[in-house]
Amino acid sequence: MKRLRASLLIAPSAALIFLFIVLPYITVLVMSFRAPAEGQPYGEGFSLEGYTHFFNESYYAMSLPQTMFLGLLTTLVCLVLAYPVALHIAFASKRWRGFLYGIVLSPLLVGIVVRSYGWTILLGNSGVINSTLRNMGLIQKPLPLMYNDFGVVLALAHVFLPFMVLPLLSALQAMDPAITQAARSLGASRFTIFRRVTFPVSMPGVQSGCILVFVLAISSYVTPALVGGMRVKTTTLLVVDALIDQFQWPFGSAMALILAVSAGIVVLIFARLTRMKWT
Amino acid sequence: MTEVSLLSLVKSYGKSIALKGISLSVGHGEFVSLLGPSGCGKSTTLKCIAGFEDISDGKILFDNTDISRRLPEQRDIGMVFQSYALFPHMTVAQNLAFGLEMRRVPKSEIATRVARAMEMVQLTPYAERFPKALSGGQQQRVALARALVIEPAILLLDEPLANLDAKLRDEMRGFIRDLQKRVGITTIYVTHDQGEAMTMSDRVVVMFDGEIAQAAPPEEVYNHPASERVARFVGNANILDLAVTGKDAAGSDLALPGGGALRVDSPAPWANGRLRVMARPEQIALTDPGAGHLGGEISKRYFSGGHVEYHVDTQCGPLVVLGPTTQTVAEGQTVALAFDPARLWPIPDPKGPAQ
Amino acid sequence: MRLATPLLTFIRVSVYVFLLAPIVIVVLASLNAGNFLTFPPQGLSLRWFWTFLQNDVFIDAIIYSAVLALCATAVSLVIGTMAALYFVRHATREAEVVRVGMLLPLILPEILTAIALLFFFYEIGIGTEHQIALFTGHVLMTLPFVFLNVTTSLQGRDESVELAARTLGASRYTAFRRVTLPLIAPGLATGGIFAFIISFDTFGISFILKGAGSAPLPIQLYDYLRFNFTPEAAAVSTVSILLTLVLVTVSDLVFGRE
Repeated sequence: MKRLRASLLIAPSAALIFLFIVLPYITVLVMSFRAPAEGQPYGEGFSLEGYTHFFNESYYAMSLPQTMFLGLLTTLVCLVLAYPVALHIAFASKRWRGFLYGIVLSPLLVGIVVRSYGWTILLGNSGVINSTLRNMGLIQKPLPLMYNDFGVVLALAHVFLPFMVLPLLSALQAMDPAITQAARSLGASRFTIFRRVTFPVSMPGVQSGCILVFVLAISSYVTPALVGGMRVKTTTLLVVDALIDQFQWPFGSAMALILAVSAGIVVLIFARLTRMKWT
Repeated sequence: MTEVSLLSLVKSYGKSIALKGISLSVGHGEFVSLLGPSGCGKSTTLKCIAGFEDISDGKILFDNTDISRRLPEQRDIGMVFQSYALFPHMTVAQNLAFGLEMRRVPKSEIATRVARAMEMVQLTPYAERFPKALSGGQQQRVALARALVIEPAILLLDEPLANLDAKLRDEMRGFIRDLQKRVGITTIYVTHDQGEAMTMSDRVVVMFDGEIAQAAPPEEVYNHPASERVARFVGNANILDLAVTGKDAAGSDLALPGGGALRVDSPAPWANGRLRVMARPEQIALTDPGAGHLGGEISKRYFSGGHVEYHVDTQCGPLVVLGPTTQTVAEGQTVALAFDPARLWPIPDPKGPAQ
Repeated sequence: MRLATPLLTFIRVSVYVFLLAPIVIVVLASLNAGNFLTFPPQGLSLRWFWTFLQNDVFIDAIIYSAVLALCATAVSLVIGTMAALYFVRHATREAEVVRVGMLLPLILPEILTAIALLFFFYEIGIGTEHQIALFTGHVLMTLPFVFLNVTTSLQGRDESVELAARTLGASRYTAFRRVTLPLIAPGLATGGIFAFIISFDTFGISFILKGAGSAPLPIQLYDYLRFNFTPEAAAVSTVSILLTLVLVTVSDLVFGRE
């Protein structure tokens, strides 16, 4: 009786998630095995053509390692940038903490289109950075900051940095400050404390932050589209192109699933490599 | 005033059984403590009485009315929680008024009753403060007043003193006990602190592993524990395992290692022909070697203000003795221990008395 | 070690600048008097805000986005709070399943979820008509944020406060309304704000699921930016940043912070 009444609380959300997440994903899976057709999204019967097409055409196949590379690089950049900040906020005084927290969260309050757009203003050939450098006489020709991997990774790192800082921060804040004091009393230097105590203890945060950023980065659309100017081909861009512009639903679905499975494998390998026995 | 009866209360969570058939009755205006280590079922019992846990089997009666199936709000109980559970967004006065509002008491009457309750717990000047602005002890008193202002049938207290510091705790013990006597309300008090249970209760119910081990007045539980486990949980206990040399209708003769002999009032030795007797530390006296019942050597001596605690190595194992501060015995000294046969308590054989 | 401290400070400050730079640049660019996005700006002016105010496409898009976000937030607030209550108060063995399930829309790639929804709605014959698919997508995207915030808020609260209300004679519903709800109000507010902003800004779902006719702001902005480089886009962005800031500040003042 009590259980029944309680389960009414979860019923609407459960129904929503099941109907509009679980079932649709199954639809994608089924769609990827459908036969392609001309003039309509998909044809009669089933085939593996969606998958074989992807691996046979190097234009598509090569986008996969390129996407993974961009994702990993973005993750690494985020981790390196986020860690000092997370440390800073975790041990900042209460008054400062709110302010710094605000700065870290600020990109989230601004739409992803606007943020990517901001980067195009900064990185473009006549953008802020290039024109400033040129005015100072440091360069003659504009530096290629946009429409390449560099610009995309930089913009992606910006877009997803909060998703790295937040898990790191919660891991660091959950840490008992007494343990670093204990390490200190045992004679460890500050660097040693970081290497032997703080960083290992924050590993769960590092793990979830990296996984989150990696998954978000490889599946992001707007940022590579705007900052990469369609010259950086990620699999996600190709998926949307196939589905929306070319109307090839089985092929697009197969490509999306290949990307998802590849991402899953990378995440699994990462989790395996950074496995912790103590958690 | 209400009488509470628990009839073979059973509470199970899937396969694990938290309460294995608790039967207890609490009389009109009685103050009963449920005492035991964490996980013994004392809090579960309280939650069942309050209605926060459905019972798996058995009955709960308030004055012969079965209330086991009633919702918490229909049981007419006052409860004080370990965390006090004051409503942080309401002032002290609003906290106190809440229960009366729920009972649709007229506004004017609410005001007078709240004022009276605040006076009762000496918090009148704090009526418009929020709980956060009060000290731990004050919050505690608000919680008490909030539970009592509705004039409930029974009062339930769930480790209410656990979050207070030692000095305040002693004060609140007396405060709660006095208030309870004045109001005359039937009270069930849950605690893991045996000192609290002893000083406050009319009756102490010791619980282990979801069962009642003993339910008796504090002196009885302390001096005549029903089992070795109760003896050890309720204060410091020296247990001596002694051979029975003779027995008659009035008692048993016991032999101590080293030639001493004792006689206790006991009907029968344990099945193995021996008897386990308990002596509390303050019931043993230190005497000169040669005198007393049992020889020993002082291994540790701790001064603790009111008395001195000695750890004595004897042939019956290490024993603890409390001595007066006027007596000075050094560590390493050889002594003898004298027992008061009238106060030695033979612990009942858990397997039943041997014939 | 003495050297490490200034180096660390430098890195930290750089990261904070890095985080704020694109936003600041957008706002500065919107004040540019010239016809193109250049830096330094060719004089300051509000002319691009005027241009924007006369552009029905953007005005419509902002209103459309705001209404969509309000509706999605309202639905998410109700069902997300219910789910959070279940998760914190009642879930036992299935707690982890509930948590992961509720966070799925956040964990799964948005663009893939959008595609999945598109197929699904075509399969059941609705397609992108009547904005049903778009609205469902927005509820899904906002749900995890309500759930997370309310869950945190509930977990920070002592359940015995609610139980105390019950012993004092309040029914389950009264205890929730008089005690629990006022206490988790800041969590609800934060969750609602997050939900609104996410819905207002989300791209993938809107991009794929928008039907014919009017489209949410990020889509219109994206379409515009693919072919135009005037500071009007910066003016639109600045307005949307300001809207967000106003929303956050107001709720902060009204509900206080967690």
